[in-house]
Amino acid sequence: MFYYYQFRITISYVLTYSIWLLYDHVFQFNVKVCSATHKSLKRISYQALLIILQNLSLINKLTMAESTQILEGFLCPICMTDFKTPNQLTKHFEEVHNDDPEILKSLKDLFGKAKKKILKQDEYPELFDSSTLSTTKSNSPEINWGHQEIGFTRSHTKYFKEIRDARLERYSTETNKLLIRLDKLLRNLPVDPIDRKNHERTIVPWIDDKDVNLCPTCAKSFHIARRKHHCRLCGAIMCHDCTMFLSLSDARIMTSPVSVQDDSAVSPTSSESPITGRFVRAGIGLTKLARSPSSGSLNSVLSLVNDPASGEQHFRLCIHCKNLLDARERLKLRQFDKPITCQFYEKMRSYMEEATRYVSMYNKMYQSLSEGESTYNLRDAQILRSKIAKIGENIDTISKKILTFGVKDAENPVQGLELKLHQMVRASAVIFLKEQLLSLPAIPTEEEYQTLQTARQQRIEARIEYQKQLEMEERQREKKKEQKREIRSVADVGSSATKDQLVLDQSQGWGPSSAPLLPTSMDPIIEQMSNLRAYIKQARADCKFDEVATLENNLRELQSAYFAMKHSNSSDD
Amino acid sequence: MNVVTALKFYITKMTEESGPGMKVLLMDKQTTSIVSLAYSQSEILLKEVYLFERIDATVRSDGLKHLKCIVFIRPTKENVALLCNELRYPKYGVYYIYFSNIIAKADIKLLAESDEQEVVREVHEFYADYLAVSPHLFALGISACSQGLTWNPTHLHRTVQGITSVLLSLKKYPYIRYQHSSEMAKRLAEKIREVLGKESNSFNFRQESNPILLILDRRDDPITPLLNQWTYQAMVHELLTINNNRVDLSNVKGISKELKEVVLSGEHDEFYANNLYLNFGEIGQTIKELMEEFQRKAKKHQKVESIADMKNFVETYPMFKKMSGTVSKHVTVVGELSSLVGQYDLLKVSELEQELSCQSEHSAQLQKIKRLLNNPRIRDIDATRLVMLYALHYVKHTNNDITGLLDMLKKRGVPEKYTKLIHNVLEYSGVHTRQSNLFDREAVAKITKKLFKGLSGVDNIYTQHTPLLVETLEDLIKEKLSTQVFPYLGNMIMSRRPHDIIVFMIGGTTYEESLAVHNLNKQNPGTKIILGGTTIHNFESFAEEVQHATTGTAPRYRTRNN
Ligand SMILES: [Zn+2]
Ligand SMILES: [Zn+2]
Ligand SMILES: [Zn+2]
Repeated sequence: MFYYYQFRITISYVLTYSIWLLYDHVFQFNVKVCSATHKSLKRISYQALLIILQNLSLINKLTMAESTQILEGFLCPICMTDFKTPNQLTKHFEEVHNDDPEILKSLKDLFGKAKKKILKQDEYPELFDSSTLSTTKSNSPEINWGHQEIGFTRSHTKYFKEIRDARLERYSTETNKLLIRLDKLLRNLPVDPIDRKNHERTIVPWIDDKDVNLCPTCAKSFHIARRKHHCRLCGAIMCHDCTMFLSLSDARIMTSPVSVQDDSAVSPTSSESPITGRFVRAGIGLTKLARSPSSGSLNSVLSLVNDPASGEQHFRLCIHCKNLLDARERLKLRQFDKPITCQFYEKMRSYMEEATRYVSMYNKMYQSLSEGESTYNLRDAQILRSKIAKIGENIDTISKKILTFGVKDAENPVQGLELKLHQMVRASAVIFLKEQLLSLPAIPTEEEYQTLQTARQQRIEARIEYQKQLEMEERQREKKKEQKREIRSVADVGSSATKDQLVLDQSQGWGPSSAPLLPTSMDPIIEQMSNLRAYIKQARADCKFDEVATLENNLRELQSAYFAMKHSNSSDD
Repeated sequence: MNVVTALKFYITKMTEESGPGMKVLLMDKQTTSIVSLAYSQSEILLKEVYLFERIDATVRSDGLKHLKCIVFIRPTKENVALLCNELRYPKYGVYYIYFSNIIAKADIKLLAESDEQEVVREVHEFYADYLAVSPHLFALGISACSQGLTWNPTHLHRTVQGITSVLLSLKKYPYIRYQHSSEMAKRLAEKIREVLGKESNSFNFRQESNPILLILDRRDDPITPLLNQWTYQAMVHELLTINNNRVDLSNVKGISKELKEVVLSGEHDEFYANNLYLNFGEIGQTIKELMEEFQRKAKKHQKVESIADMKNFVETYPMFKKMSGTVSKHVTVVGELSSLVGQYDLLKVSELEQELSCQSEHSAQLQKIKRLLNNPRIRDIDATRLVMLYALHYVKHTNNDITGLLDMLKKRGVPEKYTKLIHNVLEYSGVHTRQSNLFDREAVAKITKKLFKGLSGVDNIYTQHTPLLVETLEDLIKEKLSTQVFPYLGNMIMSRRPHDIIVFMIGGTTYEESLAVHNLNKQNPGTKIILGGTTIHNFESFAEEVQHATTGTAPRYRTRNN
């Protein structure tokens, strides 16, 4: 409750700005907040609130001195008056501001500027200037020993697979044999018990009773109370307690050939799934995915054992045969167990990758812009920033979806490990947002940028001046030398003020081939220029601002070449 | 040659080899510590590892077939058996298996035969089989490696594995030198050579850096782990105990929930990284500045009256949060340290410890010890360590009064497990054994001189002591280390100045030595030194080490009055 109130006072500002980094459209709430606090409250991310609340509690803990004093109420965004309740604020707003055309106008301006403001940030004093806090990896006392490569590793994968595959080959031959027998047993299976027994014995010969005195599984001796039974698939003897049952319906599912399942669902390595391959080779074919609870589950099979309505609805099996069949069923099951959250997850990861790419681009642009350079366009950087914010919002939404997935499912709520997994995925998204996106530096405003540019220009001029000075001094020295000695050729002091030329980097993966074609009848230079403009447009759409910079540079050169040509043409006339 | 980096390379590769997708990391107790030292949980999360399971957990939850399982375990018999079982009833979709050390072919075969469902994709050896505490410091987490003054076979095996893993992870095939007076050092050296010799064909070792593996025995310098410490990291370990970079503060009065256990890791805590080698006085100053800065900013933040305030508040939030977390953690730790220092008169104790270890003034020091033993504020362990230092220093002094001091300890009510240590440490340090040996007599005299050397021009009376290790390493760097006291294993003798040195302390190293090695690295830019130990000691753990090492030996040491 305590925080709830604290939060309320700050809603119009805190919320706006915290979310602002993530959601550009939220900005409008800020303007609405004073008149419709509650409505906007509901629409605002509670995660953002949580961050703020944690933060507030943290400050309180650490600066216990004045923390008991809590500001409470709602601030009018126009005159900054503090009000206790939203009603008071609304009333105040209607009374004081609503009839004032100036204020109304400014309010309208606020609405109008909302979009624009998203892309810019008002100036604010650097509170934690990066020099004091984002300290000092360089100050760290640990010594940098330079390049290091990963240590030795050794792979046993090949050896492992050789052994496994040789062994599984044996297994699968055996399993296939059992499946063929099962198929034969099922075909024309007589209903009459005696006929059925004969049918079974012709397909799988039974081991002679006399040869076995003890149950091979439990090692107990046979007598009247513990009778001998035969496995219908291998003919071996066991006692009733050691008998496994396979229901006829399951047996039919196991042996029925079906349309080949889509293996791609299995795993990226489905092509090397040799078991399924072997079954196909044996002519049995893939069987239908047995999703029914009975498949592979002994208990449910056992429940069918004494079904009086339809006679003996099962085969007796020994544990060995049953295990072989079960293992195969498990394998089939495993291959299709991919919940829907995986799709969400993959989407989230692809957004994260995109965001990381954009953030590194953005940081580069930020660096350049705050140097006052004109390599990148200020507006481009603003657009990129809002693009990143949008992706951040997507990541937030999807991860929340994963977090709440199936939690409220009445019959089968997500719990245990899966729930933990979802929580951790969400946690990773929050960390990602906090570390990657919330810490984005703000782009300078137009005015600031202009100042920066001027400063840069001055620096350059100062450097050129300095350079000239040096050259002069050099020349004077040379002169003195010349005066003293024989004349020597004056060494040309190379100007180091040459501008760095940007070169189009083809390896970036984006090529002009996909750019729209334009009619070819134009002047080649004009054509070239419009081509370039198309490329720039496309590069900009792809957020490839390095290319934008290069191409714009090219365009400028082309333009000046074009004008120069025109000029010379006209002077030729 | 950074051991933390070496481990990070391995762990990163593990998480990457399985491709994109949700992952679970299945580990054993030791590999859990290894991973947690190298990466914080949030770093691992961003590598798509969301769940952490123990292979030896008694109750393992139901599996999730859409997860990829990265198995990272030590190649022990128990682990192989547990993994066989896991593969027979796989809980996850696919498995990528990494053993932290060399594994027998027979074990691979067992595993292959258990993989009936073909869930295994990869099986590798990644030699991340040690605890990387700092870039130049590793440990093996063995708390008492010897018994009856010889190797406990299990611990010897683990130590051999640990050191070979360090060498393989750094791609070093070193010359081996060992402390001649130590039987344990010699055995360890031979075992390591045996293993490396067997594997040398499988790995492409390059020799350009002349690596040296120097194996030392703690018994040669029992002084260093007995001393109270005054640099941040060493002090925290001595007074609060660092365990896998974690410090348990739950005993501190009125501690808040989130500070019950704090992590002190140079990898993830810049303040700690910048200050772990500073002495206590400097730390206090830094903390004060940090506090003031923080309070100033927090105060600013607290007044959320204007739009600008609010903006600042939120814009700088990530930084703010990070800073406040760091501040509160270190303020708590330093506060606790200084309260312990005052409570137990540690300055007085430490001053006398330093005198005992660096100067020879028998009667004056004896008087001082007696005075402190009568001081009720002195802890039992501090009383004990003073007497231990005295005993080590003056055991051969004709007028020594070890018996009298022992009686005082007993009268003081010091528990027997501590009073026994006085004789144990003499047994452990082997002063007495060497006496009978003609060759060693000289060495003893020299070593005693080294251990108790006086130091001139020291500005801090609490940090006069220099570990013996420093002198040994300086000699090694200058190619002056005696080949009689520290012979090469086999007939090899290195002719060039060593560039890469891995020094290993049987019986555990200390943070004081870690700092000394850090300083040597700074002073000798061409040389890289890595320090390792069976564990990293403070007084308590060293007491245990000594006690274990000397059980089962017939006490050869007698005080004259007995
Ligand atoms: Zn107002
Ligand atoms: Zn039986
Ligand atoms: Zn059978």
